[in-house]
Amino acid sequence: MLSSLSKSTLTFKIGFFILLSLVTLAVLEPYINNYLLRGHSSTEIGLFPKLLPPSLEHPLGTDHFGRDIFSLQLTGLRYSLIIGLLAGGIATLIAVVIATTSGYLGGKVDSALNAMTNSVLVIPTLPILLAIAAYIRMDLLMMSFTLSIFSWPWPTRVIRAQILSLKERPYIDLAKVSGLNSVEIMFFEILPNLMPFIGVGFANAVIGAMIAETGLRLIGLGPGDIPSLGLLLFWSMGFGAIAQGYYQLVLAPAILLILIFISLNLVNIGLEDMFNPRLKRITGL
Amino acid sequence: MINKRVVRYVVIKILVYLITLFVAFSIVFFFLRLIPGDPVSRFIRLIEQRYSIQLAQVTQEIINEYKRKFGLEGDIATQYVSYLNRVFLEFDLGPSFLNFPNPVQDLIAWRLPWSIGLLGAATLISWAIGILAGTLVGWKRGSKIDSIMFTISLCMSQVPFYLLALFLVMFLAYIFTIFPPRWAFSPTVTPGLNLAFISSVIYHATLPSLSLILISSLGWLISTRAITITILGEDYLLFAQAKGLRKIRILSRYLLRNTLLPQTTGLAMSLGFIVNGFYLVEWIFSYPGVGTLLVQAINALDYNTVQGVILISIFTVLTANLIIDLIYPLIDPRVRGE
Repeated sequence: MLSSLSKSTLTFKIGFFILLSLVTLAVLEPYINNYLLRGHSSTEIGLFPKLLPPSLEHPLGTDHFGRDIFSLQLTGLRYSLIIGLLAGGIATLIAVVIATTSGYLGGKVDSALNAMTNSVLVIPTLPILLAIAAYIRMDLLMMSFTLSIFSWPWPTRVIRAQILSLKERPYIDLAKVSGLNSVEIMFFEILPNLMPFIGVGFANAVIGAMIAETGLRLIGLGPGDIPSLGLLLFWSMGFGAIAQGYYQLVLAPAILLILIFISLNLVNIGLEDMFNPRLKRITGL
Repeated sequence: MINKRVVRYVVIKILVYLITLFVAFSIVFFFLRLIPGDPVSRFIRLIEQRYSIQLAQVTQEIINEYKRKFGLEGDIATQYVSYLNRVFLEFDLGPSFLNFPNPVQDLIAWRLPWSIGLLGAATLISWAIGILAGTLVGWKRGSKIDSIMFTISLCMSQVPFYLLALFLVMFLAYIFTIFPPRWAFSPTVTPGLNLAFISSVIYHATLPSLSLILISSLGWLISTRAITITILGEDYLLFAQAKGLRKIRILSRYLLRNTLLPQTTGLAMSLGFIVNGFYLVEWIFSYPGVGTLLVQAINALDYNTVQGVILISIFTVLTANLIIDLIYPLIDPRVRGE
């Protein structure tokens, strides 16, 4: 038992450590790039000679527009994380509202909302998202909001399942007997115990939103002035970086993205294991 | 064999299928109407650009004619009725801009078999591998192979397919030129039922399907392992072991059969998600499927084709779901109520 607990915290710790390093890099991005580029923006075209090989001054070389690839990655990381966390946050908020309404009212409302959640999960939503992104001009906030419309079902499922299980616990009966009304029970008894699962749902939503965001940037959609890692990939692909042998142009954003997805997933699974003993027994970690 | 319970089950599943299809198609209609500007003026602008001519005196007559063709006459209610009528009764998705005046359904019909073939094969292979491997590592839980496989799966299972596809193209098609980087078959073979063509198709499909199989099977491994470990704690399994049944029999008849059931439902639930990721893989490999068509249509702002691809995708996924639901009673005796 003890060893299983430490193992799941280890999963969480590794994931959290990677994520924290990435977030720190993203937060410090303006200062690092300001120092490296002496006040210029990392997306400024023609700042350096084109396609320089990696050197001390340019750790990853420069790209076909004469931009420092390393600085670009930091900027991309910053925007990818901002959009992912923002969209994930909005999606989690939607999920909490739907899941609590569903759990609180129960019965037919619950079945209807659950059916709705499941159909959005079943339907391939990316083509719809791509169509919207292609036809409507978007800024960062609008983009995050649109992404959240398509990533709320995952956290909703996690949170709803937990509410259903919490509703059956003896202490809820005790609260009812002691005269608390349903709203009070929701806020003071259920919500605090829901917190870890809101965390799990949030990690899920961020993963979903970032997969969609990177996907639609990969084919060049979305705001062109917000260079997230997906847009960096699009630029490199458009240039034909792989065929021409400039592998770092594709590898750098792809590896950063994979690190984000791995760390979020580890945090997600670690959290779930720590706070759901029933699941811990099942997975036998 | 066929009893009341099965009939009831089948009827309910088909009803739910039809309702979901109708609701989803309606949602798509209203979602796409949110897009500002109308497709007809966009289409006329497209023609002006393509042939570099000025259609200054486009008469109202021409516009009305196109509006009729695109089903954009009258208010939104009339349009909605005509849309439902065209899609459900006439199977007409309207003319495409990319390949005007050929209808969208012709454009899709040629590509759909490629997509369904590649996606279907890759999904089934990853599902089978994931369940087999998951059952085995769950059976051997705590062993070295289990902890290695499980750790890899934990890390990689949420990485999107298209990122792995980029790595595969880079390493196996460009750095080591083992596999072709694009298209579905070699231009030197003649399409048809001959060995050269079929082997060329499989050769070209290897990398795109590998990107899906490698990641998707890890996800199935995690969930199958969890289910297996629960089953291992059940009394009937302890009893089977106490009876002295051979390991292979316990594995196949007791473990595998019981993991197969929840994972069949799992397959139905995750199809939409798999299709999402798969479309971009197709585009990376320029595979002549529906996903590549979607990206082309989006870049050309081809409104009808985009809508057509969305509808076909939803229809295909929901139909695959229905088929899985209808197969379910065959593998689960409890639904049959025997």
